[in-house]
Amino acid sequence: MNEKPVCKVLVLDDSPDHAEALKRICDDNHLVGLKVRKNRLMSVLRSNIDLGAILFADDYGGSAEASAEIALKIHAVRPELPIIIRRQRAATLDDLPESMRRVLCAAYVGSDMALLQQLIDQYIFSLEYPNALVRGIAEITETVLAGQFRNLAVTCDTPTIVRDRIIFSEVFSLIPLESNWCRGYMMLQSEEDPILDLLDEDRPADSSGDFRLVNSLLGEITNLIWGSFRNRFVGAAAASSNSHVQVPLVVNHKHKYISFGTENPQLCFCYTLSDEDAGFSVKLYQRFIFNLSWSPEDFKEIEDIDEMVESGELELF
Amino acid sequence: MAKILVVDDSSTVRDEVAGFLKKHGLDVATAVDGKDGLAKVKADPGLKLVVCDVNMPNMDGLTMVEKVRGELGNAAINVIMLTTESSPAMKERGKAAGIKGWIVKPFKGEAVLETFRKLAG
Repeated sequence: MNEKPVCKVLVLDDSPDHAEALKRICDDNHLVGLKVRKNRLMSVLRSNIDLGAILFADDYGGSAEASAEIALKIHAVRPELPIIIRRQRAATLDDLPESMRRVLCAAYVGSDMALLQQLIDQYIFSLEYPNALVRGIAEITETVLAGQFRNLAVTCDTPTIVRDRIIFSEVFSLIPLESNWCRGYMMLQSEEDPILDLLDEDRPADSSGDFRLVNSLLGEITNLIWGSFRNRFVGAAAASSNSHVQVPLVVNHKHKYISFGTENPQLCFCYTLSDEDAGFSVKLYQRFIFNLSWSPEDFKEIEDIDEMVESGELELF
Repeated sequence: MAKILVVDDSSTVRDEVAGFLKKHGLDVATAVDGKDGLAKVKADPGLKLVVCDVNMPNMDGLTMVEKVRGELGNAAINVIMLTTESSPAMKERGKAAGIKGWIVKPFKGEAVLETFRKLAG
């Protein structure tokens, strides 16, 4: 697994003059640039939920009016995604209509890619995640999943930075993370039926299993990852932060949308549990949302982790 | 009469641990949190061993053990904590309450079966 998170961005810029520069800046910044045909734009926006931003050109629509209409549609479908626009003359939003200014986050010009670099840092990678944290989370989670699903292979995709607030699976868990370097949540999401199939292999295909089994299993996996996260990255001394600040979490069931009260990008991992012989696989999505506090400069792994009692072994007193 | 009480708010863990112990011929009862566990310890003087989580709703596991020792005056029952927690401070609190051991989850039954048998005997 690559330790450096990547971020998917939708590139809505057809200019051949800027294609090379855009490709270079994507490569340099771990951005995965996705191009799309105009007639598929809305369906791609709806299906590619793990996007981080839109790189838009003011001539993408063919006319100023058409481009404005597209930008407004993008914002209507995916309001959480920052839209960074390449302007022809000057890096400003001031001369645009109010309705368009409202949906764009920033502008740059093709002759000043350093400005685009700044905007990427500001709007996409605004939170820096230490490599040791990214690597450690994947290791912890893979170990927990391998322990719970002993007959399945566990793989982890390259982690991504995402902006969306969409609840895209059928069941999800949340648990707070508290330390002197972070405060936020871990969220796990998955589908119900594949996990029910795992739990009850004899269940007839057309029968509905007990969803509470899925709830309980997801809860326990969450608990095990949380415990390992605390043991590895938090430690007893720093387990409680001094801050008692909280913000409401808002879940909109109608739109399958969850807000943590911040625009901060989220760190996302996707694990696949698979049994190749049986042709079976299930995906588990894990997100870290450090919405209340984030101080990566204070992050450190617990150094004496090797001295801890091995998981599963009995320490007698 | 049950000899071992498994106390955990996760039905996944309760089923896993209780299922394993039953499969190996041990008598097992379960409780869903510390409050439930305390009531079951009080109601069943035949219990020999409690396998108990720490983080649970209503009453946490360490508080439950302290109440077993204090309120119920039961110093004889053996207690093993089975938890994701591994902080020295929590272990010290458990030791002060007279627990016999500490397991950091996940539960690996084969590794602890013989010890459980002795403590439940």
